[in-house]
Amino acid sequence: MSTMTINGRPVPLPDDPDALLVDVIRDDLDLTGTKLVCGAGVCGACTVLVDGAPVVSCLMPARAAANTAVTTVEGIGATQLHPVQKAFMAHDALQCGFCTPGLVVEAAAFCDSWRASKGTATPSREEIGAALSGHLCRCGAYDGIFNAVAAACAGQFDGIEIAPPRVEARAKVTGSAKYTVDIRHDGQQEGIILRSQLAHARITELDLAPARAIPGVSAAVSLLGDDGMVRFVGDPIAAVAAKDRKTAEAAIAAIKMNSERLPSVIGLDAARKPDSPVVFAKASRKKAGNVSEGTPAPAAWNGNVRGPSAAFSQKARKARNWIAAERERQNPWLVEETFRTGTQSHTSLEPHATVARFDGDRLTVHASTQSVFHVMEMIAKRYKFGHDKVRVIADHVGGGFGSKGTLGMETIAAIDLAREAKAPVRIAYDRHEELSVTGYRPATELKIALLPSEQGDLKALSLTAYADTGAATNSTLAALARLIYPAEAKELADYDVISNLPPGAPFRGPGGPPMAFALEQAIDEAALRMKLDPIALRKRWDPNPNRQRLYDWAAGLDVWRNRKTEAAQTGRYRRGVGVATGYWLYLWQPGVKIELKVEGGRLIASTATQDIGQGSRTVIANTVAHEFGLEPHDIDVRIGDSSLPEGPGAGGSRSTASVIPSTLLAVRKLKEAIERSAKRKPVPGSNAPWREMIAASPDLSVASVRPEDGKPIDAGVRSPMKEAGFMGMIFGWMLRRFSNLAVGAGVPSSVQVIEVEVDTWLGHVRVLNVHTGIAVGKIAAPALARSQATGSVIQGLGYALYEARETDPRRGDVLSAGMEDYRIPGVSDTPAISVHFDEAGFDHVLGGSVGIGEVATVPTSPALANAIRNAIGIRLTEIPIRPDRLISALKGRSAA
Amino acid sequence: MTSASMTASAQRAEFRAAGTDLSERRRSGVSKGPLIDLAAAPDTIGVSWGADGAATIGALTSIAAIAADPRIAAAYPGIAAAALGLATPQVRHLATLGGNLAQRSRCWYFRDPHIACLKKGGGDCPARTGNHLYGVAFDLGPCVAPHPSTMAAALLAYDASIVTSQRPGISIGELLGDGSNGTSDHALASDEMIRGVELPAPLAGERALYKRAISRSHAEWPLVEVCARAVVTSGTFQFIRIAAGGIAPVPLRLAACEAALQGKPAGAAVIAEAARQAASGATPLPMTGYKLDLLEGVVHDVLERLAT
Repeated sequence: MSTMTINGRPVPLPDDPDALLVDVIRDDLDLTGTKLVCGAGVCGACTVLVDGAPVVSCLMPARAAANTAVTTVEGIGATQLHPVQKAFMAHDALQCGFCTPGLVVEAAAFCDSWRASKGTATPSREEIGAALSGHLCRCGAYDGIFNAVAAACAGQFDGIEIAPPRVEARAKVTGSAKYTVDIRHDGQQEGIILRSQLAHARITELDLAPARAIPGVSAAVSLLGDDGMVRFVGDPIAAVAAKDRKTAEAAIAAIKMNSERLPSVIGLDAARKPDSPVVFAKASRKKAGNVSEGTPAPAAWNGNVRGPSAAFSQKARKARNWIAAERERQNPWLVEETFRTGTQSHTSLEPHATVARFDGDRLTVHASTQSVFHVMEMIAKRYKFGHDKVRVIADHVGGGFGSKGTLGMETIAAIDLAREAKAPVRIAYDRHEELSVTGYRPATELKIALLPSEQGDLKALSLTAYADTGAATNSTLAALARLIYPAEAKELADYDVISNLPPGAPFRGPGGPPMAFALEQAIDEAALRMKLDPIALRKRWDPNPNRQRLYDWAAGLDVWRNRKTEAAQTGRYRRGVGVATGYWLYLWQPGVKIELKVEGGRLIASTATQDIGQGSRTVIANTVAHEFGLEPHDIDVRIGDSSLPEGPGAGGSRSTASVIPSTLLAVRKLKEAIERSAKRKPVPGSNAPWREMIAASPDLSVASVRPEDGKPIDAGVRSPMKEAGFMGMIFGWMLRRFSNLAVGAGVPSSVQVIEVEVDTWLGHVRVLNVHTGIAVGKIAAPALARSQATGSVIQGLGYALYEARETDPRRGDVLSAGMEDYRIPGVSDTPAISVHFDEAGFDHVLGGSVGIGEVATVPTSPALANAIRNAIGIRLTEIPIRPDRLISALKGRSAA
Repeated sequence: MTSASMTASAQRAEFRAAGTDLSERRRSGVSKGPLIDLAAAPDTIGVSWGADGAATIGALTSIAAIAADPRIAAAYPGIAAAALGLATPQVRHLATLGGNLAQRSRCWYFRDPHIACLKKGGGDCPARTGNHLYGVAFDLGPCVAPHPSTMAAALLAYDASIVTSQRPGISIGELLGDGSNGTSDHALASDEMIRGVELPAPLAGERALYKRAISRSHAEWPLVEVCARAVVTSGTFQFIRIAAGGIAPVPLRLAACEAALQGKPAGAAVIAEAARQAASGATPLPMTGYKLDLLEGVVHDVLERLAT
């Protein structure tokens, strides 16, 4: 038997020629810092050193490691942290942390070899980018990563101790943070789901007995609905659990099934044809998924087209008539265009994963979820368990972006299998599943007409949106155009176009980025035709006080003031500057409770929320620490467990706005309790009176629920729902009643200015710099908020330039189901990003802070398209603006 | 949905070098047959140099080693640049030259274990009538996937000779075929392995460049890639070789483009006209017309830099 040494320890290698190094490291040796993500050598999360050289352990046969020395992340900081690890912590070069171990291994090797040959010189961005080009971070923490690697190479972290701005950073840079995929119970079984290979069929017979008969198989369950239908390639049919993945795969292959193939229809254009096969018959419409965070309002169905949902229109007939009349008159200021956006996949690096375990009648579920509390409630409801019998745990979550907000099939299947197997069962989706069936931001076709009045005001706006929602409904795009740029009349219509593709899901500001892609380019075009500065036109048409301040900031930027007209540009490389605006709703979750305790002289804050990278642990720790005059690491924050008091889901940018007010109330209560029970007051003149009192305090516990907001103080701050009239009030009421989300007053806003360079020979766009101005009130955790802001821009650049799910137009298979074909931004694609926080506007919220995660990504794609328009004089109406589309536009060729 | 013929073809033994291509296909189930691991021998790893300055590179030499070899970079800059331009650092450390030449298609239909295709024993090419966004623009055979080997494109520009376990020296054309056989990615016999690559001695004064068009900055399969060599003396193209990948089932010499340059002055007008010739003879598919514009752009870029 051959051996390798791992982190200095000799270990045997398996004889199986198909065993891969990553599996030996994770499964046999339980060194779970090394992550398996893409399985194709693209993302680098599995990177380890083999004889000092970084390699992808997901592609390296374990055999090939014989007689080598392997170092994993656990070996990098084993005795003392590597300077790179400290730099990652200090520069907050991480969010969810799932890519971090691989990056740390690579960056440590780069740093060591750099130091050996170049001393403490600082490497350039290009050198760092090339060295880390085999790594992908979906949160987009690249700005911090550049800074961290440069600083570590320059020797800035040699031999010093640091207090990281993110409270759990140490666990993430050392690989000790346990994610759901890392959980391993004794006797744990591995579950796999059998999925449909047909886009539309009725399963007439399903025989699981042959699967159960295979030795090592512990359970097999059907996942079919009562109608036996499958409506997309990848629709779940059954699941099996076995002692290992290989046995489970054999069991899946053994399942016998008969199916009746039904006519299918794929995608936006085909499904709108009047004679296309219907995906959901009337009786089965409730089986459709939901691409938004709110509950669907009733709408008409016509074949596969659901809509119009047009409640947010305002004098729709007038808008239509005015626009038609001006079209007739060939009014040059009337902007009419059709825009298209691509399907964006969430691409969380930790896949959807669940480990379910029964102990008697108690169910414990580790889940990679954005909502431990809500998922607990949904499990209890589905299985008719008491809330006290179900516990959902998520210590660390490797990204979500909207795709992990609800009870998913991975959890249902794991629970069903665990029950039958009478053993713990893990289901962790592979990358193909993750990139095909876990949801996406639907592609859209957006027809927009924008009519300025003769006086130069905004007279009418018409926006009709068709969303490619697959086996789902409830896209809300056009309606969002009601809450910005008031006009005399607006015709806003949303349509879902249902087809035999996997269902879409909420994705970071659902509906916001595609709506902005159309609206903000139409505004830009209007400014060009009216010969006005695009920022000045927005100032005129958009009275929102938060954005008025951001427009003033943007108009003062040098890059904006010095921009050229497209006519001034010739030659191969052309530069352009664009601007765009975004907003999102300020949402918070009623009922959120924070428990604050003194226990053994330490402060403990608890709530059943979870940290998917946004930094809620840190926001809570910072808030408590600030009020008591302590340091964040003095506070123990307990989250990620549904048995704690009800906490918010990590979606709708609600976390910060939900936890800070409750925390501040709890702090007031606890201070009173501590003072009441104090035997003596602090020493006069003490620097840290609360530290002394807490240390001397008996154990105490208080809890506070999220209070309602006060009345807005500043002029012009209102609930956006009120601005949308009666239907807005209804919508706000429904959101609170059915989705437990309150819409607060004031509008989180963002304005971005982007400079690009277009290579007109290669159809390539290089983003030179991005200036993102954000108004989300007071910043509770500055380094983390900056990371959210830059990461949102990077994800927005991916949406605008690279990311597109590709499907087969007839079979309905997702073809871009690997990370080489679904292209998210890499470290070298990151421009210089400057972040401007305008901290006013939310004084009516206790603590003054609202969420940032969604608003910060809304304006990126239109700002980029407007910059390209400025550079080359051509407006790109479809994203992603890949080389094929850009070169075709430049050469006048019709694009694919 | 796995057809019997698919299974049969998958059962054939495959050679494994570093496994950077094969491991993914094993995990997905596209490759299921027996494996034969290749062990390095003195003549299959490393670079040896002849008295005339010609290099022979062992098939099991890693791509990273080729990219980092200063003598290769000096004598064959197009080879070094191609090696540095492909994949990622962590893949280049493992992947071998022979494995790069013999790797299988990156077509998303081929890589999906549930979809039949010509290369898996199926009867037709699903990409041709389906989604071939990254397909060929020179339609030379029934399969529309471009050849994935960047090193093959570079070696074609260098008139390299491939030494196999059965043949003393074959051209890239003989190794990969002419693109008319859609069922495989190379023309090696089932028990034939690549042992090394012999490069001719560099020409006096020759320069070379490698460039790929991609959407991001790094780490992406090329939409179009070009390796070009030139000897420019007295402002005239004395020698020119241009090979392109990403556009056809096999890497192609751009003959019309070379003809437009051979013996001509290395000026802007000649170069621009030659770049326009790059796409001559192309037969793009409905979704791949853009590749011709990119090909012109990449050739233009490379020639302009070679001439200065």
